[in-house]
Amino acid sequence: MVDTISDPSDDALLDVEGLRKYFPIHAGLSRRVVANVRAVEDVSFAIPRGKTLSLVGESGCGKSTTSRAVMRALDVTGGSIRFRRQSGEVVDIAGLSRAQMKPLRSEIQMVFQDPFSSLNPRMTVADIIGEPLLVNGIDKRQDRVDRVAELMRRVGLPAQFMQRFPHAFSGGQRQRIGIARALALNPSLMVLDEPVSALDVSVQAQVLNLLLDLQDELALTYLFVAHDLSVVKHISDQVAVMYLGSIVELADTCALFDRPLHPYTEALLSAVPIPNPRKRSARVLLRGEVGSPIKPPPGCPFHPRCAYAQDRCRTEVPRLERTAEGRQVRCHRAHELDLSGVGSMERPV
Amino acid sequence: MVEELTVKHFEITETARGPKQMNGAPVLSVRDLRTHFFQDEGVTKAVDGVSFDVCPGQTVGIVGESGCGKSVTSLSILRIVDPPGRIVSGKILLRREGGGGVTDIAALPANSRALRDIRGGEIGLVFQEPMSSLSPVHTIGSQLMEAIRLHTHLHESAVRERAIDMLRQVGIPQPEQRIDSYAAQLSGGLRQRAMIAIALAGQPRLLIADEPTTALDVTTQAQILELLRSIQEETGMAVALITHDIGVIAEMCDYVIIMYLGRVVEQGPVDQIFFSPKHPYTEALLRSVPNVHSEPKTRLPALAGSVPHPLHRPEGCPFHPRCARFMPGTCERSQPRLTEVGPDQRASCFLYPGADHG
Repeated sequence: MVDTISDPSDDALLDVEGLRKYFPIHAGLSRRVVANVRAVEDVSFAIPRGKTLSLVGESGCGKSTTSRAVMRALDVTGGSIRFRRQSGEVVDIAGLSRAQMKPLRSEIQMVFQDPFSSLNPRMTVADIIGEPLLVNGIDKRQDRVDRVAELMRRVGLPAQFMQRFPHAFSGGQRQRIGIARALALNPSLMVLDEPVSALDVSVQAQVLNLLLDLQDELALTYLFVAHDLSVVKHISDQVAVMYLGSIVELADTCALFDRPLHPYTEALLSAVPIPNPRKRSARVLLRGEVGSPIKPPPGCPFHPRCAYAQDRCRTEVPRLERTAEGRQVRCHRAHELDLSGVGSMERPV
Repeated sequence: MVEELTVKHFEITETARGPKQMNGAPVLSVRDLRTHFFQDEGVTKAVDGVSFDVCPGQTVGIVGESGCGKSVTSLSILRIVDPPGRIVSGKILLRREGGGGVTDIAALPANSRALRDIRGGEIGLVFQEPMSSLSPVHTIGSQLMEAIRLHTHLHESAVRERAIDMLRQVGIPQPEQRIDSYAAQLSGGLRQRAMIAIALAGQPRLLIADEPTTALDVTTQAQILELLRSIQEETGMAVALITHDIGVIAEMCDYVIIMYLGRVVEQGPVDQIFFSPKHPYTEALLRSVPNVHSEPKTRLPALAGSVPHPLHRPEGCPFHPRCARFMPGTCERSQPRLTEVGPDQRASCFLYPGADHG
């Protein structure tokens, strides 16, 4: 069953529908498949060109697996990933082979979480940023050097540092190198997996600002994966909340933060520490732990932890429903619950 | 063997910068602590003149970016700084239970009995990463029971029961079974709860929590913070909370110490720090934090530059190269002194009179 999400006619750059990714568990001598880890179960979303959609959720919710499937760093179990190429052609990359995928790689690029392990310590910055150019046929050294210098300036790094090695740079500067490398081939879609969570607070703000500026200047489309809801609020046009492999709610950023429709979203928002000591509020504390993706709870996967669960939630899997405002929610009681969001508040300083 | 410095000449209360609720004399008073690392490349002054008090029932937050010395401060308090690091000067005064006087932890001989009694006894420690700080080859129960045996005089037959009881207290479901689990069999949240149980085994009067929730998901973080709060309410324990998360500080702390490159830039009651920050770094740091209440897709007021390498600490005020209110001729010449800037609030900045003496 695929819940329909977006009209095929709209101008989405990326349109994911019914995405599934199972990891088989083998056992015994025959390496028989005894079970599947359902890392991603029926995930659908679309990102318009130039916009940012964030996937949020706790560890193990499938947000990173989803982003890796979109990159085709993983083979998918089911569903479609329609990507609009720069030529205007729309391709379903879920079914492409490695060779067929290759020409698309330059249009979808990734920035990783840890700038300390994602850069080769034995390569100079010029080589790191220039490697995608070399691979894609820019053979003349001077052309590459010029382009690297331009990219470095674009991400706010002094171009004269291009012959240095990554260890000479701070965490924030390394993340800028990673961003410059991703930009080298003029991608239209950037997959950003926790790009600021390893950075210091003051540097985190700089990198977020850089990402916002680059999006403005280059009309980039971001698929942003993060666990920090404050960061997500800042960068996103739309937010999809995931729980145990499924999207439980998807909405415009402000709508989701102000008026969540799913109890899990409410709990997630209420757990965020607010940087205001006069605002130590009562929380919706979640009981227990995330269920197992191998044997998810029957009915709604969130029901064992949900404060609003009823009998129906324990047996019947809720469908993804679309509301009039174009929001999506997967909860039996979404229309009757009145959940609280983060509210409004003035910043203390 | 126990080197107890019953000290009258340490005026603990004189410099005690008032927590809002003074619940008696401070459990711990750190005075001008300096911990330096002596490496081939030079001397890193990881902690360079830090003073603060922690009172019973109070939560003191130590916050700062990487390399600010917050973790080395907590390691110094327990005297577990690894070489080439060494406490070069300063006092770490622990007020002993029941009017037992004051002990200077910094002056105790390494590996002394007294020091071992304090670690895990009067001062408990919770680390950031429960997976790497718990033993992978011992059960949770055996590690917890070891701590109970070391710090209480319970009869062997009662130890296991006490351990199960403690696991229940920290909210681990089915403690009778979980006690025989290994760390790898527990989720991150349960592991951190087990770690807290071990830290509490000796019924410490001071708990040092070094980034206790950084490795956890936000909902689990909320559970753990709630747990720490309720334990504190029950026992009146003092907590020193080390974190980089401004939100956690606002949520948990009574008193806040902000560090930058080994030095305290500002300290004061949490309300003062958030609503009336005096040091330019404090103000810039608070502004640069993304907030769930802010408008989406707006630029954050970011601090320029990044934290310099601790080996190359700038001359004068270490923050001056990034400071929006840098005063040439003053800030790069000498280090500002912590000076009174408000009720119970002190900052080290030349914007305030008194920073340039001494």
